[in-house]
Amino acid sequence: MLNKTLLGAALVLLSATGAFAHISLETGEAPAGSTYKAVLRVPHGCDGNATTSIRVQIPEGVISVKPQPKAGWTLATTKGAYAKTYDYYGTPLSEGVKEVTWSGGNLPDEYYDEFVFRGTLAGVEAGKPIYFPVIQTCTTGEEAWIEIPVEGQPEPELPAPGLNIVEAVGGDD
Amino acid sequence: MRLVLKAAVCMLLWLSLSAAALAHASLISASPAQNTVLASAPSQFVLQFNEPVSPLALTLVAPDGSRTTLAEFRLVEGAIEVAAPAGIGKGTFALSYRVISTDGHPVAGAVIFSIGAPSGGAAGADQALDWGLRSAIWAVRVLVYLGLFFGVGSVAFRQLMEPKGGAGRPLGRAAIAGGLVAAPLAVGLQGLDALGLSLAAIADPNVWATGFSTSLGPAMAIGFLAIALAAVAEWRAGGIGRSLALVALLGVGAALAVTGHAGAAEPQWLTRPAVFVHAVGIAAWAGALLPLFAALRRPVPDVAALRRFSRWIPVALLPLIVAGAVLAVIQVGRLEALVDTTYGQVLLAKLVLLAGVFALAVYNRLRLTAPVLAFNVEATRRLVQTIAVEAALVVLVLSIAALWRFTPPPRALALVEAAPLSLHIHTDTAMGEVIFASGATGETSADIVLMTGDFGPLEANALTLVASNPAAGIEETKYPAALQPDGSWHVAPLQIPVPGTWTIRLDIRVSDFVMTRIADDVVFAN
Repeated sequence: MLNKTLLGAALVLLSATGAFAHISLETGEAPAGSTYKAVLRVPHGCDGNATTSIRVQIPEGVISVKPQPKAGWTLATTKGAYAKTYDYYGTPLSEGVKEVTWSGGNLPDEYYDEFVFRGTLAGVEAGKPIYFPVIQTCTTGEEAWIEIPVEGQPEPELPAPGLNIVEAVGGDD
Repeated sequence: MRLVLKAAVCMLLWLSLSAAALAHASLISASPAQNTVLASAPSQFVLQFNEPVSPLALTLVAPDGSRTTLAEFRLVEGAIEVAAPAGIGKGTFALSYRVISTDGHPVAGAVIFSIGAPSGGAAGADQALDWGLRSAIWAVRVLVYLGLFFGVGSVAFRQLMEPKGGAGRPLGRAAIAGGLVAAPLAVGLQGLDALGLSLAAIADPNVWATGFSTSLGPAMAIGFLAIALAAVAEWRAGGIGRSLALVALLGVGAALAVTGHAGAAEPQWLTRPAVFVHAVGIAAWAGALLPLFAALRRPVPDVAALRRFSRWIPVALLPLIVAGAVLAVIQVGRLEALVDTTYGQVLLAKLVLLAGVFALAVYNRLRLTAPVLAFNVEATRRLVQTIAVEAALVVLVLSIAALWRFTPPPRALALVEAAPLSLHIHTDTAMGEVIFASGATGETSADIVLMTGDFGPLEANALTLVASNPAAGIEETKYPAALQPDGSWHVAPLQIPVPGTWTIRLDIRVSDFVMTRIADDVVFAN
């Protein structure tokens, strides 16, 4: 039992270093139903060019999203209808932020930065990872981190940042 | 307990999400740059990455598909400077790289460039012809044919049919001597032609090695051996001489069956034996002409030789004609090709001359043979004359057949013209119809029509065609496609430097946040 947990922890540590080459989420796992603080790590530009915009698509089931403003960047959101109505602390929510864009900045390839938003993982299921596709635009070119990994197929070149969903806290049945 | 187990499973899932993450080191620039045509070979290649990398494998793939591992390189910041190998020749090359970036992930790709001019089917036809080299190749080939057919053939006839009289020997011996010199020379000339060099480079050992590595190498080795055996048989009487002569005669067939357009045609179980039978038949027939000529010119003509010749020549001629007809049908394919391709025209010229040879042979057989066997002096004189004319015509036929060295048969042309090559990639999510302007290697372009999996229209934001040839060691090269007014996509230029199976992948940006990849293999001809 303990061995398994240790092994899991070790693997997580290993995987965390491997993911650093991509745009990824700092916290790769969250309980279903929790409020999640997403920290998007941007480790490099596009083929050596400086990053000027980061655009994130919010997957279905993540509601009440609020992005964190960033000095030097213009923050914008796109709102739209959810696929269904979610219960947010007793309030029915049927629409909200579907896309978040930080634009007008300049993050040289040599530097590192993070982009933050929070949201509630309302319509997600433990064991089913969700993905936040990101389009990184640079002074020249763009990188689309939009590919969803498929089991049994080679790892995509530019995978969308993924979040693993675990059992809700206190929900151990 | 179960919670912990589930957590462990989730951790493993997360591992699968992120651990196999690929690298972010990317190629910023290359020298020579992608798709450039250089006047002469560069002294070094430079691959500039956005961060320090270390090379795992650097390979230069030549236009003929041969690979050179580039082991000499220097790392300067994010750049790899590679010493270019000397004497790489001209044509389209692929510099294939696989590097490891600082985070331990491999990055692979290929830079495709040309030296002189892009190579491959279409471009090759535009190359200036080296007439000096072509004449030499033709003349040497005629000499090889004379050595094989007249040299070996006449020795075989003399050994196996035992005519009296040596007056015809100088010609047969000259053919043997010519063949012994020409057979090795043909290999060197082939090397020059393969490497695109002029006659001045004939002393280069690489030229000879290259020539020998083609199918002509073994062919000329067998041919040389056959002629040499015949030369030995010439001075040996009795059983040994006869055996050697027979082996040499079979060697003529073997030499021609291992090379050439005809032997390379499909189905090979038919074409190679056909070439063998055809060649042995020619040697048996043409080889008989010189000794017969000599035997009949003697003050007392040796008609016994003529009698034996008349008896078995139908046995040699019938398979010769049948095999020739089979090869002609396979090579030419359709009747119009006799006129509208160079190969067909050469065959036509050969057939016209052959008709003359056969007419003479039939005349000899029906009108002259019987009187000559009855010791009619006038008929014998005329037979000697017609045999001389027949031999001269055969030399002409061989000279014309040697022209085939320069004319691809309609069969091969049809293979190249199989373009436009099309590729249909069909998956549940998307479908791509890719049409390449040419199915041959070299520079081409592609037109792509995208559809959804159920044949509906598929409007994509962007499309990238990714070409790779894993078997030839050529890593992925990306070609962004341009959207055309009619909704199709166009990629140009697209470089296919070597023939073989290429993996073509379409990266379809269905919408801003959705990417679909579909891929399939397609075979490019030489």
